[in-house]
Amino acid sequence: MERLNVIASHLSMSEKRGMATSEVAGSVKLFSFNPDDIVVVAALRTPIGKSRRGVFKDTHGDDLLSQAFNGVLKSVNIRPDEIGDICVGNVNDARASVTARFAQFFSGIPHTVPVSAVNRQCGSGLQAFMNIAGGIKNKAYPLGLAGGFEMMSKSGMGGKGFDDMNPRIMDVKEAKDSLIPMGLTSEIVAERYGVSREVQDRFSMDSHKKAAAATKNGHFKAEIIPVTVEVEDMEGNRRTITVTEDEGIRGNTTMEVLAKLKPAFKQGGTTTAGNSSQTSDGAAAVLVASREEAKRRGLPILGTLRAFAVVGVAPDEMGVGPAAAIPQALKMAGLTIDDIDVYEINEAFASQAAYCVRKLGIPSEKVNPKGRWVWYPCVWEQEWELLPSSNIILETYVLRDLINVYKHLNFE
Amino acid sequence: MTLSFKTKDRHGYSVKFSPYLPDRFVCATSQYYGIAGRGTLFVFDILSSGIEPVKIYEWNDGLFDAAWSENNENVVVVGAGDGSLLVYDVTNPKGPLKAFKEHSKEVSSVDWSPTRAENFILTASWDSTINAIWSPRLPGCFATASGDKTLRVWDRRTPQPQCTIQAHEGEVLTCDWNKYDQNILYSGSVDCSIRGWDIRNYNKPLCEMTGHRFAVRRVKTSPFNGNTLASCSYDFTVRTWDVRQPHAMEITEHHTEFVYGLDFNLHRPGQIVDCGWDSLVHVYKPRVLLDGSLIGMVPNPLVVTTLVEA
Repeated sequence: MERLNVIASHLSMSEKRGMATSEVAGSVKLFSFNPDDIVVVAALRTPIGKSRRGVFKDTHGDDLLSQAFNGVLKSVNIRPDEIGDICVGNVNDARASVTARFAQFFSGIPHTVPVSAVNRQCGSGLQAFMNIAGGIKNKAYPLGLAGGFEMMSKSGMGGKGFDDMNPRIMDVKEAKDSLIPMGLTSEIVAERYGVSREVQDRFSMDSHKKAAAATKNGHFKAEIIPVTVEVEDMEGNRRTITVTEDEGIRGNTTMEVLAKLKPAFKQGGTTTAGNSSQTSDGAAAVLVASREEAKRRGLPILGTLRAFAVVGVAPDEMGVGPAAAIPQALKMAGLTIDDIDVYEINEAFASQAAYCVRKLGIPSEKVNPKGRWVWYPCVWEQEWELLPSSNIILETYVLRDLINVYKHLNFE
Repeated sequence: MTLSFKTKDRHGYSVKFSPYLPDRFVCATSQYYGIAGRGTLFVFDILSSGIEPVKIYEWNDGLFDAAWSENNENVVVVGAGDGSLLVYDVTNPKGPLKAFKEHSKEVSSVDWSPTRAENFILTASWDSTINAIWSPRLPGCFATASGDKTLRVWDRRTPQPQCTIQAHEGEVLTCDWNKYDQNILYSGSVDCSIRGWDIRNYNKPLCEMTGHRFAVRRVKTSPFNGNTLASCSYDFTVRTWDVRQPHAMEITEHHTEFVYGLDFNLHRPGQIVDCGWDSLVHVYKPRVLLDGSLIGMVPNPLVVTTLVEA
């Protein structure tokens, strides 16, 4: 991020200060820099562990979330009592807001700082970010903390809450469809939009390989906080380990290996364990501020929020949301598919991700360049999504913004 | 005629002509605009058919500057984003011969001492110094451009600067020595101006050249004419100057992103290579340098706009 700041400083002056903003440079969308822009000043995550069998199987969600909180607070040296609000995204924890409150106290954030939890399924972490961004935009506070966590070792998918259902659900098609397990919605997408088993397997293999390469080349180092936890082995001995890398990346997988796997959800289906994501444990946190506040405190600006869109899709084809929401977000920002350099898209199931990429016509090299190794369950997406939204997508926006400074001189 | 090459998915930071071979140059590039990702060093030959890559070397961090050895035609030193200085032999198909880890931050500038017996390499990093260039005429003497708005002249035997010039109103990003007068130095800055300095009396600049609309990324003096200067900028242009007049002789508009790298060919009068964030490398002669008689006073800058698709 320092590199971005260095380049930003190079653009801090121009021949004529406050040059007209009406000039247009080619097809590049020009953004202005306003004091009330929402900016990200710090973003970190824990490594990702495989649920139930992985490194965090004996860790609690609040412990993991607290590590993410500590990481961002320490990285920018903010006093904990200066945070205006905390919002945390989570799907499977039945008492997520209480878990988040525990994490807050574990991190030494005083009780005067309020906390809430939000659930928008795969997009919960992003929604937590937007809730904080909205609070800042409404001038409720100038600085807030958004986070997300999922502890699938403790609370897995489905199950709870579905034992006392209204029988009327079965009479309303879309309500009934909302009960279709995610794996079967993946089968529906594959069938309805003609995403073959081979396309899914290849997408998955590429994703794992990208993630393995990004890990090997240290591209995750800047965003991962090492986490020290106790874990119990098969014999019941507890030992302390420090986790620095993600678990579950299969960099050496091949098409042959993937082709041998049996369909996991439906006889004769195409969705397998190899082209679906694993269930995981992990947490992330992002410190959000107005541009004015970030400047006043001398905080680094990692990215600017330019647009956010939410669009609903039919419940029987869960996971195709990006194909519906991306065009809307681009339209709001006045950008086209080609203007964006990096797309970070949900890879809960290869079928859904491959369909979204094809539908939108995104060149494959722009899709998840650090890989998502089709690993993380839809529910884990939220924490992960937070990081890309600051590190990757916003990074790209910032780059564009920098270029735009060329014409737009509201940047100081 | 402009020859062009596109370094796909790699964004140009620096280009340097070989001091030995008239048709060879290196280009230091970075993935993702040098903000993240890998770096690639391209060794190019200029052939009648166009620009051809002779060697391509990958590194795990962005590459920001390169310099040819002064005692071996095959050796290139490169500054990397991870703080290392890489030594490549272009006859060796594999990676660097050696990687020195000297800086904790990005190495933004490298220069090989032109004093033949010495073989010293000068490196500058992003802590505060941005650019460091050996004097082509005074052995052991070099100039640095830095973020504190100053230009400093040093003797490598003394830890204190020989002179500290309050050169600009913004960060100084680049400097270069006049190759025909050992006392004259030029600087380019974030404040958009280029200034000339006499190191014997630097209370005020010898000359000031304006016109760039954003920070001047690099200035280079011509090896063939003591009054000719070229500069590239964040304003996407390359400009050719006669230091005796305050505005450019020629404005070259053939990049669509920041222009970072620029160099004069030491063997072919007027030939320039440049590179930028649009991944394009261009080899060309500014029109005012095509014919010696054009050099000098021109009433208005000649604007040459070529959009080249390599």
